[in-house]
This record gives sequence, C-alpha cells and structure tokens, in this order.
Amino acid sequence: MNQVKSRRSWSLIVGLVIISTITLVTLISLVWLPYPIDNTDGGRLSPPSWSHLLGTDKLGRDLVARLMVGARIALSVGFSAVLIAGIVGLTLGMAAGFAQRWLDESLSALLDILIAFPTLLLAMLIVAARGSSLTSAIFAIGLGMSAIIARLTRLLVKRVLAKDFITASRASGTSWPRIIVLHVLPNIWPTLIVSFALQFGLAGLAEASLSYLGLGAPPPNASWGSLLQEAQATVMTSPIAAIAPGLFLVALVIGVNLIADGLREIADPTLRRSR
Amino acid sequence: MAKYLIRRFAFLLLSLVLASITLFVLLRIIPGDPANALLSVGATPEQIAAAQHEVGSDLPLIIQFLNWVRDLSTFHFGTSIISSYPVGPEITSRLSLTVPLTLIAFVVAVAIALPLGFIAAFKAKTWYGTLLNGFSQLGIAIPVFWVGVIFIYIFALKFMILPSGGVPPEGWANIPGTLKYLLLPIATIALVMSSSLTRYVRSATLDVLGSDYLRTARSMGSTFTQAMTRHGLRNAAAPVISIIGIELATTFVGAVVVESVFALPGLGSLLVRSIAQHDYPVIQGVLFVSTFAVLMIGFLADLIQRIVDPRLISSSAGDLR
Amino acid sequence: MKPGKKFGVVGVAFAVALTLFATSAPANAASADATVDIGSLYEPQNLDNTGGGGQGVVEALNGNSYEGLYRLTDGGVVENLLATASKVSKDGLTYTFTLRSGVKFHSGKTMTSADVKFSLEKVSAADSKSARKSSFKVVKSIATPDAKTVVVTLSSRSISFIYNLTYIWIMNSAAKDFATEEDGTGPYKLSAWKRGSTLSLVRNDAYWGTAPKNKTVVYHYFTNATALNNALLTGAVDVITSAQSPDALAQFKSSSYKISNGQSTTKLILVFNDRVAPFNNVKVRKAITSAIDNKKLLASIWGDYGTLIGSMVPPTDPWYEDLTGVNPYNVALAKKLLAAAGYAKGFTFRLDTPQYDPHPAAAAFIKSELAKVGITVNINSVTDDQWYNNVYKKHDYAATMQEHVNDRDVVWYGNPDFYWGYNNTTVTSLINQAEQAPNARIQASLLKRANRIIATEAASDWIYLYPQIVVASSTLSGYPINGLNSQFYAYNIVKN
Repeated sequence: MNQVKSRRSWSLIVGLVIISTITLVTLISLVWLPYPIDNTDGGRLSPPSWSHLLGTDKLGRDLVARLMVGARIALSVGFSAVLIAGIVGLTLGMAAGFAQRWLDESLSALLDILIAFPTLLLAMLIVAARGSSLTSAIFAIGLGMSAIIARLTRLLVKRVLAKDFITASRASGTSWPRIIVLHVLPNIWPTLIVSFALQFGLAGLAEASLSYLGLGAPPPNASWGSLLQEAQATVMTSPIAAIAPGLFLVALVIGVNLIADGLREIADPTLRRSR
Repeated sequence: MAKYLIRRFAFLLLSLVLASITLFVLLRIIPGDPANALLSVGATPEQIAAAQHEVGSDLPLIIQFLNWVRDLSTFHFGTSIISSYPVGPEITSRLSLTVPLTLIAFVVAVAIALPLGFIAAFKAKTWYGTLLNGFSQLGIAIPVFWVGVIFIYIFALKFMILPSGGVPPEGWANIPGTLKYLLLPIATIALVMSSSLTRYVRSATLDVLGSDYLRTARSMGSTFTQAMTRHGLRNAAAPVISIIGIELATTFVGAVVVESVFALPGLGSLLVRSIAQHDYPVIQGVLFVSTFAVLMIGFLADLIQRIVDPRLISSSAGDLR
Repeated sequence: MKPGKKFGVVGVAFAVALTLFATSAPANAASADATVDIGSLYEPQNLDNTGGGGQGVVEALNGNSYEGLYRLTDGGVVENLLATASKVSKDGLTYTFTLRSGVKFHSGKTMTSADVKFSLEKVSAADSKSARKSSFKVVKSIATPDAKTVVVTLSSRSISFIYNLTYIWIMNSAAKDFATEEDGTGPYKLSAWKRGSTLSLVRNDAYWGTAPKNKTVVYHYFTNATALNNALLTGAVDVITSAQSPDALAQFKSSSYKISNGQSTTKLILVFNDRVAPFNNVKVRKAITSAIDNKKLLASIWGDYGTLIGSMVPPTDPWYEDLTGVNPYNVALAKKLLAAAGYAKGFTFRLDTPQYDPHPAAAAFIKSELAKVGITVNINSVTDDQWYNNVYKKHDYAATMQEHVNDRDVVWYGNPDFYWGYNNTTVTSLINQAEQAPNARIQASLLKRANRIIATEAASDWIYLYPQIVVASSTLSGYPINGLNSQFYAYNIVKN
C-alpha cells in the first residue's frame, strides 16, 4: 500500500513540475520574448543556432518565441474551456442532482445526447456556424466538456444527498444553500478537480486537431496545433520545427494527466484499494 | 424489457428530432450569405443576384425548415449549392469508405486493448505493467494526426512499402488495393484508440479484482477462474460495453482527422471541405448522418448492455472521464 | 499470458500483410497505352465550366474532353481548333466562323453551328457563373446560316473577342445535365469521377484530330499540399500540376524528378480601398508600396521562385513591361512621402486578411515592415464569406489582401465601381479605347499607357507574381508547364 501511494505522489510531483514549467514559460512570454513575434529578420528556415535556439520558420520568425506564445494560447484555451465547462457543467449537474424526478430525467436525457457527441464533432458544428476563431474553438470545446462535468456533478451530488448527515442536517432545519456550501461542495470538489485536470489536457488536443483541419484559430494566432500543421510541410528538411511543438503538447497533456492521477489518489482514498 | 425497449426507442427518436432542430437553427442563424460561396473575384452585380436567388435563402424560415424535415425523412438531404449534386448519394458513397475504416480500426483497437489492459491490470506491480500503463498514457497524449504523419514518414516515404494516401480509382472493386491504401490509416486510428481503451480495460479489471463480490465468492470456496467467469466478467461487461459504445463514436469522428491526413474520400473530408466552402446542405446532411450514427451506437450499446446484465436500471452507466 | 507473445503475433500479421500488398504493384505499361496519373489540389465542383465548376474542371477537361473554337496553347498562342477559319468585317463588328467538318461529340452526334450558338449563349445566360460572362456582353446576336457557319455580331468592337473564345467550350446542345455528365468533342472521354478522390479520362478512339499519346489519364485530388507531394514521392502520381510551397521542393531535387518553373498569371495584391482616407491619397499608397520589401517577402514565401512585376500585368500579357522601379523599396522615401502626405507620425489601419495561405504570413510580414515607418497594422482575419460580403460587395474595408488569378485583368482598374474603387478617368477611357482598338498593337500600346498610370499612382501594391511550378517524375515528358488559365493539356504526355 505504501508503495502504491509513493508512486501516486511521484506522478503528482512530475506532473506539477511539467505544468509549472509550462506556466513559467507562459509568464515569461508576457514580459519577455527572445524576438518580437512579428520579427521576420531571422532568415527563412534557418537551422538552430545560438541566436535562434530552435531555428526560424519560413517567414524568418524565431521558433522559440513562437513556441512561447503558443504556450500562452495553450494555457488560455485550457483554462477558458475548463471555465466554461465548469460553469455550465456545475450548474446543470447541480440542477439535475437537486431537481424533481421529471426535471432530473429530462436533464439527464439531454446530457446523454450531448455526451454521446464527441467534442470534435460539436466543435466542427460550431465552427461551421460561427466561422473559425479562437473563441469558437474555446466555446465549442468548453461546451462539449460541460456535459461530462454535468453528468459527473449530478452523480456526485446524488451520492452526497443520499448520506445520513444530509438528512440529519435537513431535519435540524439547515437551508439548502447552506447545505450546498457546507456539505455538498466540500464533498464533490476533490473528484471534480481531477476531472477538470483531465479535461484541461483534452482541450489542448482538441484545439490541435481543429487547427490541423484548418478550423482552429486563424493566423497570426500561433497555437501549438497550428505550428505542427505548418511544420508538416517541411518535416523532411527541418524536423525540429515539427518535433518541438508536438513535444510541448504531449508534455502538457501528460502533465495534467499525471496531476489528475495524483490528485485522484488524494481525493478518493478508496482507489488505493487497487489490489 | 419490452417496456424499456419502447422507452429507449422513444428517447432515440426524441434525440433525433432535437438534434435536427438544433442543426437547422445553428446553421441558419449564421451571419453571412451562402450565395458568396458561388462567387469568384470579378463577379458582376447581376451574377451576385442570380447566385442569391439560386441558393434560395429568400424563402420564409418555416418553409425552409419544413423542406429540411421532408428531405431528412426521405434521407435525401437536398442538393449541394456548390456542386449542384444531390447530397444523399454523395454521403452514401463517402460512408462506403468511412464505415469500413472505422469498424476495422475499432476491431483492431479492441483486439489490442483487451489483452494489454488485462496484462496491465493483473501485472500492475511489475515493470512491464508500469511500462504498458506509461505507453497508454503517451498514446492518449499524442494528437492522432501526428501519429499519421509519423507513419507516412516511416512507411511511405522512408521505406516506400505503403502508399501515403488516397485510394485506387477503382475503389472497392479492387479490395486488396483499397485495403493496402487503408492499412496506415487503420493502424493510426487503432494505435490511438487502443491506448485509451487499454486504460479503460485496465481500470475495469482492477475494479473487478478489488470488488467485494469477488472476495466473497473466493472466500466461499470458488477458484479464481470460477469467480471471475461467474461474477467478474458479468460485472465488468456492462461498463465496458458502454465505454466501447462511446469510444466507437469517438473513433468514427477520429476518422475525420485521419481522412484529412491520408487524403481519403470519406465523410470527414467531405465535412471539412463543405465547411470551408459554406456548403450548408452538405454540412447539414453530414452532421445529421454523423449524429444519427452516434445516437444509434449509443442505443445499440445500451441494448446490448441490457441483454448482458438485465439488472441494470439507469439508462447508461457512466464513466467518470 | 506473456505480452511478448502477443506482440509477436501482431507483428507477424502486419509483416504478412505488407508482403502481400507490396508484391501487387503494377508493371509499367507500354508507352502508347500508358496511364498517366496527375496529382492536383483542385478538384472540380461539378463538370460545367459555366455552372461553377471552378478551376478544377478547366484543369481536367479543357482541351482534354471539351474544346473551344480556338485553343490557347501552353505557350500562350491562340490557334484554330473547332473553327477552321474566321472573317472579320471592316468595322470589326461581324465575325464569320467556319466550323471544322467531321467533328463528333462523345455521344456520337455531329457538331453543328447550332451547338456553337447554344454554347456561346450559355456563357451569357442568366444563370451563368462564368467568370467571362462580362466579356461576352458585347455579343449582340448569333446567326447560323448553315450547319458549318456561325455569324456573330457585336455591339461594339472587341479586340479580345477571339482570345476570349478560347475559354468557351463547345457543348452538345442536346445534352441534359452538364454538371454531372460530359459530352464534348475532345481527345478524351470522361470514364469515371469518384468525388473526393479521382477523375479518370480515357482515350476517345473516334477523335477527329491526332490521337493522344497515352490511353488513360487519372487526376488524383488532394486537399493538402503535403499529401500531394507525398503522392509524387511514393510514385502514386507522375506529375503535380502546381506545387504550393518551395519548402517541399527540396525533396524533389534529384534525377528522378524534374521541376519546371513556368509562367503564371496569379498575383498577390495588397488592395487599398482607394475611396477612403488615407488611401485616397496617392502619396500614402506610394509610401506603403515603398515601405514593403516585396523581394524579401517573395523570398520568404517562395524561396527562389516567383517574380516581382510592380504592376497588375504579368509577362504573359502582351502589354507587359517591368515596372518594379516605379515605386522602389526605399524606407527613407516612404517616410518622406508619408510626411508630405501629413502622416509623419504614421497611422493605424485594419488589414482584412483571408485565412488561407499565403495571406496570413504575408500580412504578418507587412505588419512588421510598416511598423518601421510608424504605421500600425491591425490584422483582421476574415472568412471567404466575410470577404465577399464586406470587402467585395459592400466595399466596407480599409485594406485587404487577395490573389487575383485571371490573365489580362488589368482592365478591372477601368471600372470605378470595382471593389478597390480606383477612379481615374484617363485610365478608364484608355482601357475602353483599348478594347475597341482596330488591332492588337494599338490595344497593347494603349493598355501599356493605362498600366503605367495605374502603377505610378500605386492603385494597389502588387506584391509578387506567383510561380507556376510543375513537378514531374523524370519518366514523363510532353506535359504543359505554364498554368495559363489553369489549363493542363494531357494529350501529349508520354510515359516511359
């Protein structure tokens, strides 16, 4: 048991290191970039050198600078999408969890439809309707994920509400809002955090796929997804331009997954019982 | 069971109606003029007017909606405003590629994921159990198109043993030829899908292994194999089927991206192209068919789940992802 | 259960599959009966070039399945095709064409003057989406005195009339569905079109002229340039009709491939809205033109390919001259002009940028260049739909970028209502006179004069002329290398 626990904490530490590094890069990019993002004086597709650590793209823009700005976009896509999913998902999930039977059932039915809908399909629908932009992408990804959060919230709320201490608390005349704040939220919060972390990584992947299809954020917004897509044409001649953004993206997803794994262990001790 | 069946079917129909209304509303409130898709630089004002008339957005919304419902009920879907081809046959011809691609890739993914997931669960403490777990983590984190690009680089460009994309002009009339072209796309989808499936199989197995009924059964004298076959499999099957349903839908949509990587004439590339061209009848048709497929998969998964484990009450068991 | 064993089984299955497929590659066919596989990014929308078929249908069917009265050769020369002779009246208003005898449509019907009349009227019909519709407004009437003769009367002189006829396919007047069926007179018949994938042509054995040097032509369509290049690298196609990026060309620099650098008519333009301030000021337009290093931009997008032309006129137009010196790249001059125009401290404008390549990259470059003279550019990414609505129809923009693909399109600067709103009465009258010129020499000299004024006033900034790059396997010869009007004649291609 101890062995299992230590492995879990390891994943939390590794995950946190990866994500803090990416966050640090993002913060630095706000105040400092090796070159302005529009600077095209680097010469087209120059190989890595001391002045351009990862070389330049076909317009002569520094790849390190572009990757740093990409980190900014990746984090903001993740945060905004999770925020949307959090607000919409929590509200719907809570409503369904507390609601009368008929409302709960219709909400659940709605969520079942939404959840059956892969996020990418939903995103393409929204892009088809609204045109491709970063906002469309974030909105679509966030909406797609909110169904997952909502269903999870509903399940957790139901579970808590069935507990004896809620009945006791109700009997002693505590109001519903107080019960939510005092009992429900503290009990469901840990599991939700884990889910948010996982969704954060998935948002990054979804954005990359949209960008690859040409339906993501249009230039000059250089997300890692668009960098990957651009670099595909030159993968034979300058592979580093294709590898670097890919590695960052993979690191981001693995980082949040590891954190989620670690958090899940802390949040839900029953999982420790895994044989 | 019969009562459940009727309820579930009613739910499916309701979902379809809701989905078609949503599609219609979303795609018709878009700012912009579909007629623009027909213009080229140099178009005269009267050509612009003619294009607008041809697209027919001048009809009242309610008439447009009724036309859309009529088209849907006959699986006709109208005609493309860009190509003036009927949308229905176009979708059917694209499905003849996307459906085999999805199904084959999915079967391969399940065939890989089941044994690997079991191994990862049974041998969770060994080094290769950990390694398998790590690999499945990596598989989830890599964008699917990137796997495709790497496969093309290795198998098509470097070793020249497989084609890099497209399909033979004869299509399915040449089955081995077409399969040869589909090998890399199938491998790409299967690799990515199998890594997330492996994780589900692993955690479902771990759940069963750690469950009380298994312990009880064993304490009452059953052998491990007996306990597993009598209780374990049945209990694990329900959530796995539900997840397989959801993952099959994901695979179907994942095919959209992979079709773009490998230049395959499937439903996905049709959708990407029609979005780029603002070809609304085609977008509506493709999205409706995709929705239909996704909902049907969910329906069938629920049904099978019921047959396997009749004790279930709620409509679909949830995974927590 | 040992994982190694499982992996082994999967591995063996994969290897077996590979060897099975690897041995099924077809042997090289004899040259005259060869199949030529052509890779392209431009799939037709439908088969009707007056019904919105797009540049793809021209590439696949023009000259291959459909023929006009005249043919524009790959070298840019107009020659007789279905017309064997023509007579022009003294006033230049009446054209009498004699048709070639023994020409049959693929359906078996003999071509007559009725088909020619039908085809010409189809271009100017109300539902025509032909980009050439406006050029045929001058046609007043079409008469068919007999089956072999067509008489066209114009309302005013049109020096480009014969040239414009090279665009017009002669179609079977009895045919029903032009969008989905082909019935032309050309050397190939359409044999199959798998939409989203391939279009196959097969030799027409009843062709009136010289038989094609190959038997089957298959156009393979791709939606991204990388997939197209990969197809050539793996031998799935023999030639690609236009390479889209120089970066990928490095992989074709070997003896197995031949890269041809031909003539194109596609220009990348920074379009000013000449109606509105500050772009109604010639000095501002000249300043911006001088502030952008077009040479560097061309190099960063196209490497060693492409041409600077300094005006709307590419070298294949008969009135071309090199005008790159008119508004040279000179930052000091740009600053001086800005100061003279009253914008010494610069200004800010919005650049409506289409989302597809190369516009976003070019816009980013322009932004960084103009920052050096104090002008701030806000890049506003627009969809095609927004572009047509706001820029093309409503003229609601300050500046935009667009690629203009047509040849001989400098004449659009003579239309003050066009989206760029360039309005110079001298230019308008010169362009009108040119169209009514008695001969090509006078037409060219008038258009040269007009073009010089347009360039000097920097009506737009003509950034560069695209290259037209055909990459082919070195086993192939006889393919066209100039992308004139997107046509791609396949009948002379020989495959060894």
